[in-house]
Amino acid sequence: MKKPSIKKLLVAMTAATTLGTAGTSYAEDPIRIGGLYILSGSAATYGEFAQKGIDLAVKEINASGGILGRQVEMIYEDSQGKASVAIQAARKLVYSEGADALVGLDSSGVAQGMVPTMPELQKPLIITHAATPDVTGKLCNPFTYRISVNVAQNMKAAAKVAAETDATNWTTIGPDYAFGHQSWEFFGNYLKDIKPDVNLMSETNFPRFGAEDFTPFIDRVMNSGADGVLISVWGGDLVNFIRQANTRGFFEKDMELMFTVGAATEVLSALGEEMPEGVHLSTRYWYEAYNNDINDRFVKAYIDAYGNPPSYNAEGAYAAIYAYKQAMEAAGTTDGPAVAKALSGMSMEAPNGTVTFRKGDNQAMVSPNWGVSGPMHPEHGIRTLTNLQIFDGEEVARTIEETGCKL
Amino acid sequence: MSGIGAALLNSLDIGLLLFIIAVGLNIVFGVLNIINFAHGALYMLGAYLAFTLINLVGMPFWAALLLAPIGVAILAVIIDRVLLRFIYSRDVADSLLLTFAILLIINESIRTIWGSGIQVVQPPQLLSGSVQLLGSSVSTYSLFVIVIGLLLLAGLWYLFNRTRVGRIMRAAALDRDMAEALCINTRMVVTGVFAFGAWLAAVGGVVAAPMRALDPGMGDKIIIESFIVVVIGGLGSFPGALLGAIVLGLIHGFGGRYLPEVNLLLPFLGMALVLLFKPNGILGKGATA
Amino acid sequence: MKTKILMGLMAVVIAGLIAVPWIASYFYIFILTEILILGLFAASFNLIFGYTGMLSFGHAAFFGIGSYATALVLIHLEWPFLACLLVSMGASALLALVIGFLSVRLNEVYFAMLTLAFGMMVFAIAYQWRSVTNGSDGLAGFTLGSFGLGLDLTLGNPAVYYHVVLAIVAIAAVVLYLICRSSFGMILRAIRQNPERVSFAGLNVRTYRLVAFVIAGTFAGLAGGLIAPFLRVASPELLHWSMSAEPVLMAILGGTGYFLGPFVGSAVFVLLETWITSFTESWMLVLGIILAMMVIFFRKGLLGTALDWWLEVKK
Repeated sequence: MKKPSIKKLLVAMTAATTLGTAGTSYAEDPIRIGGLYILSGSAATYGEFAQKGIDLAVKEINASGGILGRQVEMIYEDSQGKASVAIQAARKLVYSEGADALVGLDSSGVAQGMVPTMPELQKPLIITHAATPDVTGKLCNPFTYRISVNVAQNMKAAAKVAAETDATNWTTIGPDYAFGHQSWEFFGNYLKDIKPDVNLMSETNFPRFGAEDFTPFIDRVMNSGADGVLISVWGGDLVNFIRQANTRGFFEKDMELMFTVGAATEVLSALGEEMPEGVHLSTRYWYEAYNNDINDRFVKAYIDAYGNPPSYNAEGAYAAIYAYKQAMEAAGTTDGPAVAKALSGMSMEAPNGTVTFRKGDNQAMVSPNWGVSGPMHPEHGIRTLTNLQIFDGEEVARTIEETGCKL
Repeated sequence: MSGIGAALLNSLDIGLLLFIIAVGLNIVFGVLNIINFAHGALYMLGAYLAFTLINLVGMPFWAALLLAPIGVAILAVIIDRVLLRFIYSRDVADSLLLTFAILLIINESIRTIWGSGIQVVQPPQLLSGSVQLLGSSVSTYSLFVIVIGLLLLAGLWYLFNRTRVGRIMRAAALDRDMAEALCINTRMVVTGVFAFGAWLAAVGGVVAAPMRALDPGMGDKIIIESFIVVVIGGLGSFPGALLGAIVLGLIHGFGGRYLPEVNLLLPFLGMALVLLFKPNGILGKGATA
Repeated sequence: MKTKILMGLMAVVIAGLIAVPWIASYFYIFILTEILILGLFAASFNLIFGYTGMLSFGHAAFFGIGSYATALVLIHLEWPFLACLLVSMGASALLALVIGFLSVRLNEVYFAMLTLAFGMMVFAIAYQWRSVTNGSDGLAGFTLGSFGLGLDLTLGNPAVYYHVVLAIVAIAAVVLYLICRSSFGMILRAIRQNPERVSFAGLNVRTYRLVAFVIAGTFAGLAGGLIAPFLRVASPELLHWSMSAEPVLMAILGGTGYFLGPFVGSAVFVLLETWITSFTESWMLVLGIILAMMVIFFRKGLLGTALDWWLEVKK
């Protein structure tokens, strides 16, 4: 979808200087959706997954007549994982490229910074990956929606899974930034609610993000006497963590291990058989968890196009484009405030079942998927998930009062 | 006391890997007076070449350990002849900036060539298990890293103290004009030293590949660590690189276990303290301050 | 004659800058606001780099502290914007005094490394002190109230904010320029060329370097105070060493030997980034190539090279 746009820039510049406006859209023009993802640097793999999901959705939609009879065109910008860059990029997408709507955001920090600027842009944003609770909580606004699972939802589900185990002494290993700390706080609070007699250890472990060597923290946990560990390390760090934990005999200890982002396909395919069996893994969407036509079609199309099963954030991004299709057609226009309004309370069919954007905080009522790692998948070269659990979306969501969102 | 034994071994394996990488940085600075910002990128390139040779071509690990660093060294010769030769006579700031540019170029090229996904290299069969040592389970590969670090240390000591090439390098470091007067081809020395530094970075990359997941950010993660090592030990000092690496290894190995709240701050605090009280590093050569 | 042409050119640029909100779209207002703020950041850096010859790799510490100070004051005290900026400048001046006092004793690489270490320590503190700085997410969700001085300005309007930034950056630039042209500035340049000779003249080189460092830090803090409301966020990335690299690149790009060099560098940097990221994700690759070319062949920067060429051709 990227292509040289020198001409576009020149046109925009001429328009800007002569008319004073840029990006005016005409009825026959394609509908333009701006995508804001991490496309460079070490986390670019997440942006690329999102692009894959989106490109699939756009191709399908355009092949079947587009939205409101208009074709859909994606314009991507690199957020570089920095709030400052992302905010400027969003302004560029809206004011210079004429984007009608936005999807995106991988990093929670970027989301925290960008979401408060959405009302100025007057365009809807559907977040497809970033998990910080605040953007559909105290920072919420009528233009910001999230189709993916947030930390609070995932940790409420995690607490339910944890409560079923015999573990009583819980600690955590998580990256030393908001995500790791928030995961532990939500998990602890929910677990205490369900099972008041558990002990949340004061000795927690927060290695710095990108630490590479996790053995000091692995040893600390092994010597701590914990019998339950919440592990929110993710991505390349998780790959390092598991390989080092393997050599330390971490998985031979009798502990309940819960990996909050452990069933991410990029991690599973990098690890292969090195991912141990019998640990609790979660992901915001597991491609074999849903039996419906949309999921079957999505997974098949994804594997046909890219050769491996879809990751959770490819699904979120894919579904977000369909959400815009439905909202724009319901609103009968691409006008920003109208589309945003149509999204509020809207229900849609997505690969992970019926998804509803809750009125009140704009968070999609979706469930994380928790399971236990099983034998290797014969074709996909990754661990399978057994004992899959899908929770009721409403049940794992915070109440609107708890979110702190006042819409 | 098993905790302390494990922490010590862990510190050693972190430290010696850092030594392999940082000593190249330090030799380049000592002889050429260049701070090579791209050193981490060359390390990453070594790891990715190893990934290609092992996982895609199907070579054994040992062949990759031999070939990948040579490939990186050849690239370093090109970098030296095409770019760096312009700035040898200028001050250190220029070399920092130019090598920073080279870092950007290599980083993005690697992402374009190999993609940004997470890649994993398996250790050779011989080194894939783990053994009981000092009361804890240690991976054989960690021990291998310690051994190869010590071997390189011995080799470098021999090179600098017992061979003609090493003495020429030291002479060129002390006084380039004098070396030239003695009919030493300093241009060859310069290129050779830069390539040698890159070779060491790449050896570090190949050695790291089976124990660190590969992604295009791995070079940036290591370069600041390497700076800390050479600053603590002493810029330009070859034994200093060892000392600095061990100190940083200890900071990580023990800091992670006993002071986890400040594990982001500690390395920089150590670096600042050394610069404040002993700007030339604990074992630094007499540079101007 | 030539000076007259240059002065005329400057007047046209300034008039153009003032007129921008009436002739260009929103998008270019944002772009120009960013250019001005980063230009001030780079110009403050160039006072120590281009004029005094000290390569700092921790200048983002002051920029970032400035943005956090403004954000914190807006969140907790809701003071007028002008007061926020004064707090930003005070906070960064204080930090620069401490870091500078410890750092200016060192030269060249050692100075670069020590400022890098201090910069990253400030980063680490902002990153991990969650109760005050909100950790990795940074501070967001603050709104601008009044401007101060009894002026009735709607700062939330990008065009108004642009004019405020333009005015403040212009004033700051004039002050910086006067400092550079003063006898103090002359001594700084002498220090860059030959510190020994300056100290033989009976001047305390270290004190001069420290004062320059504090002034540079203060203006970086002002730039930081301006960027926080513009980005609506003060986050640790503004303190990271990669942010410290930006003013270095901008100064080199524009020309370190010229007062306006860093502003030109900032403009070229921001425009290139905006333009190049439209059609490739490899912006860093392009930046690397441009930077390498600048360092090797155009060490005087774009402004310097252009001026040289113009003086050469139009003799």
